[in-house]
This record gives sequence, structure tokens and C-alpha cells, in this order.
Amino acid sequence: MSVPAADLLTTAPAQDVLGGVGAGPRVRSRLRNLEIIVPGALLVVLLFFCFIWPLLYHIPSPTVADLFEVNRPLWSPGHILGTDAVGYDVMSRILYGGRVSFEVAAAVQAIGLVVGGLFGMIAAYRGGWTEAVLMRILDVFIAFPSLVLVLAIADSLGPSETHVIWALSAFSIPAFARVARAATLRLRDQPFIVAARLSGTRTWRILLQHLAPNLAPQLLTFSLLGASLTIILEGALDFLGYGVPPPTATWGNMIATGQSFISVYPQYVLVPSVFLVATSICLNMMGDGLRARWGVR
Amino acid sequence: MASATAAGDAAPPDVRLGPSPLLEVSDLRVTFHSRAGNVYAVQGISFSIEPGQTLAIIGESGSGKTVSAQAMMAILPRTAHVTGSIRFNGEEMVGRSERELRDYRGRCVAMVFQNPERSLNPTMRVGSQIAEAITTHLPLDRKQAHERAIELLRMVRIPAPERRFYEYPHQLSGGMRQRVVIAIALACGPAVLIADEATTALDVTTQAQIMDLLLDLQEETGTALLMISHDLGLAASYAEDVIVMYAGKVVERAPTKELFAGVRMPYTQALLDAIPRIDTQPHVLLPVIGGRPPDLSVIPAGCPFAPRCPEVQQDCRDQAPPLKQHEPERWWACWHPYRKGAGQ
Amino acid sequence: MTSGEVLLEVHDLVQEFVLRDFGGTKGGVLQAVAGVSLELHVGETLGIVGETGSGKSTLARSVIQAPPPKRGQVIFQGQDLVKLSGRALKSARRNLQMVFQDPFTSLDPRWTVTRLVEEPLVAYAEGDRQERRTRVSELLDLVGLDPERHGGRHPHELSGGQCQRVAVARALALNPKLILCDEPVSSLDVLVQAQVLNLFEKLREELGLSYLFIAHDLALVRQVSDRVAVMYLGKLCEVGPVQSLFAEPLHPYTFALLNSIPSPDPTVGRRDTASVISGELPSPLDPPSGCRFRTRCPRAEGRCAAEVPELRELTNGRFVACHFPLPAREAVAADGKAPDPVVAVAPAPLWPAEPNGAG
Ligand SMILES: Nc1ncnc2c1ncn2[C@@H]1O[C@H](COP(=O)(O)OP(=O)(O)OP(=O)(O)O)[C@@H](O)[C@H]1O
Ligand SMILES: Nc1ncnc2c1ncn2[C@@H]1O[C@H](COP(=O)(O)OP(=O)(O)O)[C@@H](O)[C@H]1O
Ligand code: SF4
Ligand code: SF4
Ligand SMILES: [Mg+2]
Ligand SMILES: [Mg+2]
Repeated sequence: MSVPAADLLTTAPAQDVLGGVGAGPRVRSRLRNLEIIVPGALLVVLLFFCFIWPLLYHIPSPTVADLFEVNRPLWSPGHILGTDAVGYDVMSRILYGGRVSFEVAAAVQAIGLVVGGLFGMIAAYRGGWTEAVLMRILDVFIAFPSLVLVLAIADSLGPSETHVIWALSAFSIPAFARVARAATLRLRDQPFIVAARLSGTRTWRILLQHLAPNLAPQLLTFSLLGASLTIILEGALDFLGYGVPPPTATWGNMIATGQSFISVYPQYVLVPSVFLVATSICLNMMGDGLRARWGVR
Repeated sequence: MASATAAGDAAPPDVRLGPSPLLEVSDLRVTFHSRAGNVYAVQGISFSIEPGQTLAIIGESGSGKTVSAQAMMAILPRTAHVTGSIRFNGEEMVGRSERELRDYRGRCVAMVFQNPERSLNPTMRVGSQIAEAITTHLPLDRKQAHERAIELLRMVRIPAPERRFYEYPHQLSGGMRQRVVIAIALACGPAVLIADEATTALDVTTQAQIMDLLLDLQEETGTALLMISHDLGLAASYAEDVIVMYAGKVVERAPTKELFAGVRMPYTQALLDAIPRIDTQPHVLLPVIGGRPPDLSVIPAGCPFAPRCPEVQQDCRDQAPPLKQHEPERWWACWHPYRKGAGQ
Repeated sequence: MTSGEVLLEVHDLVQEFVLRDFGGTKGGVLQAVAGVSLELHVGETLGIVGETGSGKSTLARSVIQAPPPKRGQVIFQGQDLVKLSGRALKSARRNLQMVFQDPFTSLDPRWTVTRLVEEPLVAYAEGDRQERRTRVSELLDLVGLDPERHGGRHPHELSGGQCQRVAVARALALNPKLILCDEPVSSLDVLVQAQVLNLFEKLREELGLSYLFIAHDLALVRQVSDRVAVMYLGKLCEVGPVQSLFAEPLHPYTFALLNSIPSPDPTVGRRDTASVISGELPSPLDPPSGCRFRTRCPRAEGRCAAEVPELRELTNGRFVACHFPLPAREAVAADGKAPDPVVAVAPAPLWPAEPNGAG
């Protein structure tokens, strides 16, 4: 929200009445920028290699094994990250696995954002029994231990990427709904929303044109944090055998198959784990950075 | 009274009672540097405050009142560049280290901000907030700080202070919260109290209560009061002297009574005319000047008020009028001042 | 200016809020407006004054049905708005618009000025896009903004006064009959405030508007109003024509309010502290029995605690809700002129020394 600079000055917090100024604001804002730029750049590079690089250059297929090239160590010629016990190129499996992770994360967040966001907005804006009914439905979802619920859904739908997306959406929709509802409750009684209503604007227009744009920063930062979690959960589902079925390359599958060799070839587990965790951390840092930058609570 | 002794031993050791004023500001300039350009928020102001005096700084929003006050408190953001001098009891405060300033703030000069909601920590009991302000500056233990906090609450006339001590800010009304903020500011018996729009957010009855409280406290403790406001009416009722600021400069200074008997500077007159009077007829249009204060990212060549001034002439645009003492105790910066009531 | 025709009639309006404790249980019922009746005539400006929390905004919001009141009638142009809903309410409300206190929060920060002013026109499907844009330009001109220069800006790129002009332009878009102004200038500083006040006056004359003008600044209310209603803790204390009400307040609370105005004339000096109204507004959750002002009233007697004073017409057009109203002549200065109320202190009999004051 925009407050004129002069107002911000006159309303400095109480600590300033007597206390010190604390760390320089300039240093802090530098740090904050780095917090967004570094993970953002890393993610862009990874996205480029996962989605665009394979189109430009030939890389070995992730699902065609080269039986003469098994168990190659890292940095082997032609196989930068080596090959695994079956002869798959690890690098290529990492890149294709990354695709799956990003696709699932994006789809789950998009579904959560649209469905959950609308749910939460409508519930909070309408209030009364609409809110009671909608939130009760979501409470049912939230009441289940989330992973158990996801496992149950994945199990009954059978393993496939689409099913993983549905299963994980059961988790993201209520989360987004909660965030959207809380934010809408804060905005709902703001004079500008009341003013829009009084000037005769219809409810759906208020929802889409006044509320949604003002919720956007908050929901977007939340979706980055959510994506960071989704990637881990997707890995976990694959690992447990409820996710994308092998031989499709995913980070979770790579960790699952690699674990039988962990004492001899620890890199089969370590390499995908590093990618999994690093991506998740980058998304999380970016979400946090943007949240601080945009002043979202 | 205990508060008076606290004020006494809280002041720096060399309290000189003499011709030197308590707080002396001379040629204070504050510039904000940013990539978008410089903002010359305060462009050389000078004034002084004597012990026990009530001085008002008046001006539109954006005229640099808050920035001046922040400079006096040494709480400007890092992007601000300060030149000139601010002397407290003859000691220079500009350029001091953070550690030295910590003692200066609170014990010598304290400030009350405009918005009581935002000056208090909503998650802390009001008593603890006062006690914290006390222990930051004075060598008192918890129990003594607690007692002093209750005494302060009583001083700002909060009924049942023993109970209020344990309440949270949201349990108090706006006026009551502002009293707590005042109690925090008074915690260490400051020699100068700056009230920056301290009553602007409050309604008339509460405003009157708070202003009366401030003046009574001033009588009790002998602090000097610097009240900052955009309301000339408020200044007229409560201040002994008035300083009018426009676009980062002082444009007129006078004792309140004389100022209202005959304004010299056209800008002051415009401010005065714009106040709805209780004695006018309904539906009469207010005489009002158009335009807005100038952009502070350039220092204008002529008088900063020239584009809006009804008395403007060519020389105003060519050369900025300096602030000069023209009559005993009266300063103004204008080439063509009004002359009402002059020359007696 | 004012014709006798009644534009807005409010009968026994009650608005309540149910407060919830932390657990979500019912914490109590707060009556923010406790039975208010008033009338507003065509072409008239009715000022409403009162302290923070006295229910002024709630009253205005209930009139405009946002949210609708708990009980009572709001008859606007012959229709009871409380009974309407949906489409009927929307079309009845077309002639009733509102301007809010804080110009920054009452405009969507992500919309441009043009779009904001156009919004009501879109909502009521007025004209095509081209016609609407022309109308927006007219409106911006009318409130003293340059459509070219300001039309594309966002609220944070405007000053407070300019934002308030945008809000006024929006309110005028549908040619309303009545505008409810909830402290429209209290967040603006004096020069800008004067500009906006003059704008309201100009529009009143040019467009024949009526206003319900809420403020806590009495001098300002006096400047713009024909009649004034004084509100305290959800009830009206006094209603009357502006000049006689200011010259001779009948209700002790009105008198106290008039006494707390700072005067821009320093020769008056600092008023007697005893004449400043003391104490805090009682909790609206648990208002005093009988007269709600009795805990702070110097004239209170036993009857005030037992019996609620009804608003009654005392003299011609002067309504007061008090068992022991001030004598009509008390506040008038000796020379018979309308006095400066700060001079007109009669503290000795009226304000006995505060027992729990500067303790
Ligand atoms: N949504 C709400 N929920 C609960 N209480 C409310 C709500 N809105 C207002 N109130 C209460 O109703 C009373 C009247 O409030 P209102 O905002 O109408 O006062 P006001 O006279 O407009 O004050 P101000 O001068 O500060 O604008 C107050 O006690 C307030 O706390
Ligand atoms: N931190 C800052 N950075 C840049 N400009 C600032 C800053 N603080 C204040 N200013 C500018 O300095 C001028 C004076 O501001 P201020 O002292 O707050 O005015 P007021 O008289 O209303 O208190 C304004 O133009 C304001 O925008
Ligand atoms: S110097 Fe000239 S322009 Fe400036 S205030 Fe005086 S008369 Fe007006
Ligand atoms: S009714 Fe009684 S308590 Fe109420 S205002 Fe009148 S005299 Fe005071
Ligand atoms: Mg300020
Ligand atoms: Mg209000």
C-alpha cells in the first residue's frame, strides 16, 4: 500500500523515540536484493538446461540405457555426471527429472492458486453461510494428515504424473484458500472495496478486478514457497512408489533406485538429492525475499 | 516532585544557566541523496529554544517540519546528509557517534509522534514499554523502573495506573494511547520535548485534553516544548512563539501575539485565511491560494513562494529573500511584506 | 437554497456489532448507533459532529446500507432503503454517494484515476466507452484535475488533496442528489482542506447537491452546514440551525465541544483547564444508564441516571436530548453578538472542580 514518505516518517515505531537506528537500511536492502537475485538466477539457469538445452543440443536419452557404459564415475567423457548401474546418463536423467519436478510444481501451484484462491476470496468476501460451508469443506481436507491424504489419493488413482498433480493439489488448494481468505478479510472492509461496492460494481468484478490484483503479491510469494514444498513432496511420492512410475526419469525415482547402491556409488543418491534440495531452497529463498520486498505478511 | 529531580539529574552535567540557549539550531540543512536525485528537504534553518519555552513550527505537509525534528533527534535515515549545527547546552550534536547519541536522545531531547497506534508495540504491555524506555537510559533496576512507570502513568493522568500498567495498547483509546506515548517520551526527564503533530490524529476534545496535559507537564518539569503542527489555530492557543516553514526554509518567526496582530509574510497570511473560523457565516468560500509547494529536488533561484504569492513582483522571482530580523523579536523572509500594525 | 422538501429521513436507526472474544465466542453486543432519527431537506447540508467512536461513520454507513442497519428506517426519495435489496437497492442508491475520510485507502491503489472515475459509469452501464471517457474528462475538470496530466496516474502518484478530488469526481459521476461525506478533509492539511471545502461549496451551488457532512472539527462544520446534529455515544444530543446552535448551545455536551476548539486568536489566551471536557468516552459496550453523557456532565442529577432524555423540540427548530438543558441565553455575550465560544466560558457554575483530575 502506498503511504507518502512524509507519513512514514512521522509514524516511526516507538523504539525510535529513544533507541538506536540499527543496521543501515542500505546494507539491508542490498542483502535483500541478493536474496532474490541469486536464487532467481540459479533457477533460471536450471530451467534453461531442463527445458531448452535438450532442444538445442543432442543429449543422451534418459530412458535408453547404454549397456557398455555402466557405473561411470562423475566427469567421465560424454557423461558429465557419469552413468548409473543400468547405463542411463545421469546428467540427462537429472535434466528430464527436473522437467517433471518443475511441471508438477507449476501445475500444483497454478491449480492451488486459481481454485484455492477463488475459494478463499469468495468465502471471505461473501461471509455468512457461504464462508461457513466453503471453509468447512476445506477443513475436512486439512483435518487429514496431509501426506496420508496424498498417499491415499495417489494410491487409489494409480501412479502417473497427472495423478501426482491431482494428489498434491489436494494439499495446495486448501493452503491457498486459507491465505486468500485471510488476505481478503483484511481487504474486504478497506474503504476502496466498500467504495467500489457502493458505486454499483458487481461482486464478481470486485473479486477479479479489485481483490485479485491486490492479493496477487501475497499469493505469488506464497506459491513460490509452496512450489519449494511441492518439489520435495513429489520426490517423496516417487521415492515411495506412488508417484511417476519408472523408468520415467524423476529425481525421486533416481534416489529410489540409487539407494540400493548407496555404499558403493553414493553419487546416485547424492546428485539428485542435491538438485532436489537446492531447487527447493532456491524457491524458498526467493519466496521469502519477495515477501520481505513487497512487505507481505 | 520526583519527576523534576529526575529531569535535573538526567540532564548532562554542565547545565549552564546563562545567556546560551538550551537547544540552538543554526543553518541546518538536510539533503536526501538517492538515485532519482537529491531532495533538499531542509534548506538552512536557524532557531533556538530556551528552557521552559513553548515554540511552534507551522507549515504545510512536506515543508520539512518532520525532517527538522528528526535531525534534532538524530534519527534521520542513512540516506540523509546533515550539515549545519545543532547545539544542546553548547555541545555540538551533528556528527556524533551512535553511542553518544543514544544518551542524548531521551535524556536531553525526546519526541512524540503523530500516530499513537503505530508508535506503540501492540504485543507488549504498555507498562513494560515505559519501563523499557526508563531502563535503557537510567541505571534503575526492574522494581524501581516499575514504580517510575506507574508514576509516569499517573503524571499523564491515566486513571488507575496500577491496572493500566498491565494492559495492551489495543485496550486503550486513541487519546489514552497518546498519553502513554507521552509518558514514554518523558521517561527520562528530557530537557526538550518535541511533539510532531502529536494531536493531529485525535478529535477536538481529546486534542484539547492532550495539549493541556502537555502544557501542565511543561510547567511541572520545566522542559521546553517544541510543537509541530499544520494548524495555526492550535499554535495560537498554546505556543509563545511561532516559526513558519515553507519549502524547507523558515519564512517567518514571531511571538504568537504579535504574529496574529499583524502577519508580515504572505504565506503565513494564506495559512491563516484558510482556517475555517467559528465566527464566519456558513457557506462563505475560504480565501485560498492555489498551487502546491515547490518540488524540493531543485533549489529555486527566487522566493520559493513566488508562484503562489498574491503579492509577487519581479524582484521576488530573481532573488530569494533572506530571513532577517526586521523588528524586535520578529524575523521574516519577504521583499514585500504586509505592514498591518507595523511601526508602533 | 433549501426547499422544504425532505430528501432523506432516518427513523430510529439502530446499528449493532457483535464482538467476538479470542475463542470466537460472543463477547458482547456493541450498539454503535442507538436509535437516531433525523431529516435532511433538498439542497441542505446537515453537519454531524461528535468525538471518535460516537458512531458518526457507522450512521453514514448504515444510511447507505453498507452494511444495512439492525433496525429502523432510511427513507430516501420516498423509498425505504432498508427494505430494498439487490437490483432495487442498486438503483435507489444511484442518487446517494459517499466520500470517505482517508483519500489513500478509499481508492484502489492499482487502478488509474480515469478507470477509478469511470467505475460507477461502467457499473450502471452508462453510455459507451467513448461517452464514458468524455464524461470522465468533464468530471475531472469539474473537480479541478487535468484529465491529460492526472488521468493516467495511480493514487500514490497524487497528493492527498488530489486523491480526495478523485474520490469526489467518482461520487459525482452518476449525478447523485445526496453525498455522504465522512470526514472528507480531516486527513488534509489546512490549505488543501480549504481548497476541497471550497470545491464542495462550488458543487453545491452549481449542481444543487445536498450533503450529510461528518466532521469532528466544529469550525469546519459551521463553515459548510445549514443545520448541525451533535452525536454522543450513538445518540443525538442536539440538532439545530448552525448559527443558533453555535451561539447558544442547549446541551452541556455541545457546550463542552465548543469549548475545546483552539482559536486562531491568541489574545484569547489559554482557556481554563476546568472548562475542557474531562475523562474518557465510556465504553460503548456498557453505556451509562439514562443519559449517556451523565458520567462527564457537570449538570447531572439523579434523574439523568434513571431516565433516558428523549430528543425534543425546545424552541423553533432546536432539538435537544437533555433533562436540564442550558438556558438559551447563557452563552450569549453581553453585547448580544454571536460570541466567540472560547470567550463564552461560564465555568464557575457549570464546571465544578474535577475531583479526579490532576491527581
Ligand atoms: N465493524 C465493527 N465491528 C465492531 N465495532 C465497530 C465496528 N465499526 C465500528 N465499531 C464501533 O462502533 C462505534 C462507533 O464507531 P464509528 O466508526 O461509527 O465512530 P465515529 O464517530 O465515526 O469515529 P471517528 O471520529 O473516529 O471516525 C465505536 O465504538 C467502534 O469501535
Ligand atoms: N527518507 C526520505 N527520502 C527522501 N525524501 C524525504 C525523506 N523524508 C522526507 N523527505 C522529503 O522531505 C520533505 C519534507 O518532509 P517532512 O519533513 O516530512 O514534511 P512535513 O513538514 O510534512 O513534516 C518532503 O518533500 C519529503 O518528501
Ligand atoms: S518575497 Fe515576493 S513572492 Fe516571496 S513571499 Fe514576499 S512578496 Fe511573495
Ligand atoms: S440529561 Fe442530565 S446528564 Fe444528560 S446532559 Fe442533560 S443534564 Fe447532563
Ligand atoms: Mg510531518
Ligand atoms: Mg469515522
